[in-house]
Amino acid sequence: MTRVIEGSQAVAEAVKLAKAKVVSAYPITPQTHIVEELARLCSDGTMDARFICVESEHSAMASVIGAASGGVRAFTASSSHGLALMHEMLHWASAARLPIVMAEVNRALGPGWNLWLDQTDSLAQRDTGWIQIYVSDGQEALDTTLAAYRLAEIVNLPVMVVLDAFFLSHTYEPVDVPSQEDVDRFLPPYSPKFLLDTKAPYVLGEVAPPSVYMEMRRSIQSAMESAPEALEAVDEEFRSIFGRGYGPVEAYRCEDADIVIAATGTTAGTARVAVDALRDRGEKVGLLRIRLFRPFPARAVHEALRGTKKVAVLDRNCSFGAGGIFAQETRAALYNLGGPPVHSYIAGLGGRDVTPSLVEELYFDAKKAAAPAPESVWLGLREELCK
Amino acid sequence: MKASRLDSLNVSLFISRSSASTSSNKTGSWSFSRPRRAERSAPCSAACPCSEDIPRIEMLASRGLADEALASILEENPLPGTCGRVCFHPCEAACNRGGIDEAVSVNALERSLSDATVTAAPPARKLPPSARKKITIIGSGPAGLSAAYFLARLGHECEILEASSAAGGLLRWGIPEYRLPSAALEREIARVESLGVRIRLGRPAGEDMLAEPSRGRDAVVIATGHGRPSALGVPGDELALDALGMLARSRRGEERRFPRGGAPVAVVGGGNTAVDAARTLLRLGAEPIIVYRRRREDMPAIGAEIEAALAEGVRILPLAAPSAIEGSDGKMALKLRRMRSGDAGADGRASVAPVPGEDFALEVSAVYAAVGASAAERWMLPREGSALRLARCAIDPTAAGGRPVAYAGDLTIGRESVSDAIASGKEAAIALDALFSFGIKGVAAEIERALAADGGSASMEAYSRGPRATRSRAIVKAEDLNADYIERSRRANGRALESAKAALSFAEVECGLGPAEAAAQAGRCLNCGICNDCDNCRTFCPEAAVDVGPPGSGDPAWTSPRAPNLDYCKGCGICATECPRGALSMEEASS
Repeated sequence: MTRVIEGSQAVAEAVKLAKAKVVSAYPITPQTHIVEELARLCSDGTMDARFICVESEHSAMASVIGAASGGVRAFTASSSHGLALMHEMLHWASAARLPIVMAEVNRALGPGWNLWLDQTDSLAQRDTGWIQIYVSDGQEALDTTLAAYRLAEIVNLPVMVVLDAFFLSHTYEPVDVPSQEDVDRFLPPYSPKFLLDTKAPYVLGEVAPPSVYMEMRRSIQSAMESAPEALEAVDEEFRSIFGRGYGPVEAYRCEDADIVIAATGTTAGTARVAVDALRDRGEKVGLLRIRLFRPFPARAVHEALRGTKKVAVLDRNCSFGAGGIFAQETRAALYNLGGPPVHSYIAGLGGRDVTPSLVEELYFDAKKAAAPAPESVWLGLREELCK
Repeated sequence: MKASRLDSLNVSLFISRSSASTSSNKTGSWSFSRPRRAERSAPCSAACPCSEDIPRIEMLASRGLADEALASILEENPLPGTCGRVCFHPCEAACNRGGIDEAVSVNALERSLSDATVTAAPPARKLPPSARKKITIIGSGPAGLSAAYFLARLGHECEILEASSAAGGLLRWGIPEYRLPSAALEREIARVESLGVRIRLGRPAGEDMLAEPSRGRDAVVIATGHGRPSALGVPGDELALDALGMLARSRRGEERRFPRGGAPVAVVGGGNTAVDAARTLLRLGAEPIIVYRRRREDMPAIGAEIEAALAEGVRILPLAAPSAIEGSDGKMALKLRRMRSGDAGADGRASVAPVPGEDFALEVSAVYAAVGASAAERWMLPREGSALRLARCAIDPTAAGGRPVAYAGDLTIGRESVSDAIASGKEAAIALDALFSFGIKGVAAEIERALAADGGSASMEAYSRGPRATRSRAIVKAEDLNADYIERSRRANGRALESAKAALSFAEVECGLGPAEAAAQAGRCLNCGICNDCDNCRTFCPEAAVDVGPPGSGDPAWTSPRAPNLDYCKGCGICATECPRGALSMEEASS
């Protein structure tokens, strides 16, 4: 049934349809609407689930780790400082191989205090062993949350579904909310590969000496390496039931493009408009929307950029001292596989608008540059404040 | 669906997990303290003159176990349908929930349970014939009924001598029908009789009862209550009528109706009798004014009754003390002194003194005195010297020609209330039973043993060595509760007749709580001090070392089948901290 709902509500609907049994979260703008809705669904009995109130995000993640260890589907959501506070437990969740799903609404970190879109919070967690998927609209947020459980339970790794603050979390859009029956066909009841059982107790997470620790780490990496194939298979199943699907990347008008703009989330929507406008003016430009960030879909990116002369990556984040993070990852992925030079651009931090004309500015800057600048190029800066 | 692709996917999963069971690791051996189910007493129960086990009653009621809940009340109180209507409910003032949002509606719940189910009296103790005593109780008011009920349950043979034509004493003749309908009272008297108690009506007792111990009588209980109303003590006070006498005539249907438009009638006093008399006179067509010498807030009557009287149209004239009554029947002047309230006196109430030159008078058609009463005859009072005085009764081992006499009811209690009278009768019954077993020297110790809580009164269950006897007498204070687990909610007392309508008839004013509402209100009780199976201890135990038996194991009405498994309990104390109601405590483990 198509309903006009917020991106936040789309996520909550998916969690409900996935029949999560435990939700634990600490509220933080702009994640709040997701957990408010889930708290309501838990308290009024719509969901047969327990909402565990906690005093911090660290405890929220610890609670869902406990729930998942007990063998049930668990969910949490966070943003920005909240996610940063979870950091220790993020490592624990992945190394414990628990299929937890989290919605993460990208928000800037302070100071200066800022509630708006900036991807640095989730990207700073790239080494924690979580699968990360960046979504661009309400429908995709719902669909990806459902698929995240399927994927997580196959590879035994936690999945972070990443949404843009406000542009997605707080925007109402028509969303096809699938029936429970269809969701049940796609997502079978959770059958954990291991769980804590008080009747047959054993230790989870016990000491791992040098003789075994390395193999455990290798196992996490192996699971990550199998994630792209698993995601593709999950996507196929999803498509067969719901008639729509996604993929690790989305290539738009890239086939004959000389220059491809790479973007993520809602920014890709703006870039799509700019690409169409530029194409109308005869520019050979395409768009590569990167959905999967961990594991980084190197082959899919390489494939999409085959024949492209330049790729210009638009980052709404900055790794200080290194620049835009998607650009770094793209550059690293293409270095051995071969591919076009990577031009790195940073724009729209802390919720600043990225307009179609800014995307055009990016395109023409990349087009005229003989070679990529050594550092990321910052677009849309107020020069009078940069002295 | 093509499930094959995902099924064949081989995902590495090598985790840190022990290969052997950890059950052989008895972590309990590390502990130096351990949790103990240390059930404690609730402040409501300690405040209840009848020592009802309120947290347990409400726990049972909230689970829909109305019969079991009422059985628990009947363990301590033979007259729940009466107390549920007329008790001044000190339990609610003591309720720990009062400091969180609003006190639990204990009083309305007691009435609801009593009205909703017909539960038999608990079974009587079987005594060998040699131990079974024959006891005569004088008076069938709350104290007499209570003494007979508890003595009968302790296995003795009881008869009650009642001077009037019907049983109930003050409950029948002193409390108006609109507060305590006859039908409710009859049920309770029938329950007392069901234990084999014979009530002989129209049998006034005299001092010869004490002179004639023969006729196979082993003991006497004097529970006559007040027989002599106090006079106002002012010139012309012979013109005043006795308010209790008027209430009795009204209950018999013998009281006159007042003509419309007559002069107001004055009721002098501030207790429940004054308020009952005023509301009764209102229903008989009069225009009553309560005249009280202190401030309105000093009136000893139940606050809700005062509010109801005012709402129905009774007027209250505070700080006015009669100085004389002049005139004759039908047209008289009640001379009054304007009083001024001063500092608090020794009893905690503000003292009053006349304001010079501010005398005034009320023109009234009648004056009713409701200023207390005293014993009708001297023999009804305990003898000085030989009687052992207990908290609410007195016992004299030889007053009836060498046989024991117990004194109970209004003449031996400090606070005159129905519940205190019931408690007095119970205490007298326990005291006599103890006297039969241990002699007079053993009585005080047995009464002490029967106290259920610090500062509380005697409990039949504790005296009978029931499960409650194992509970600590220490009272759970508000700060002992874990308020994090208490959801705020509103109390309800049930509906009542609209005041304007209520004042037109003797129909019962309070309508009580319906069964569903009552169960919900009972669920507001925090069950201070007792386990109500909330499972917090088990949920939060990091060792999963709180064992729970299968549902239905143990006595569901009493013992929750939860116990710490000391093989694995490390003694961290989380269970005791997380217990919302203070029913767990930590104690040092013996080595």
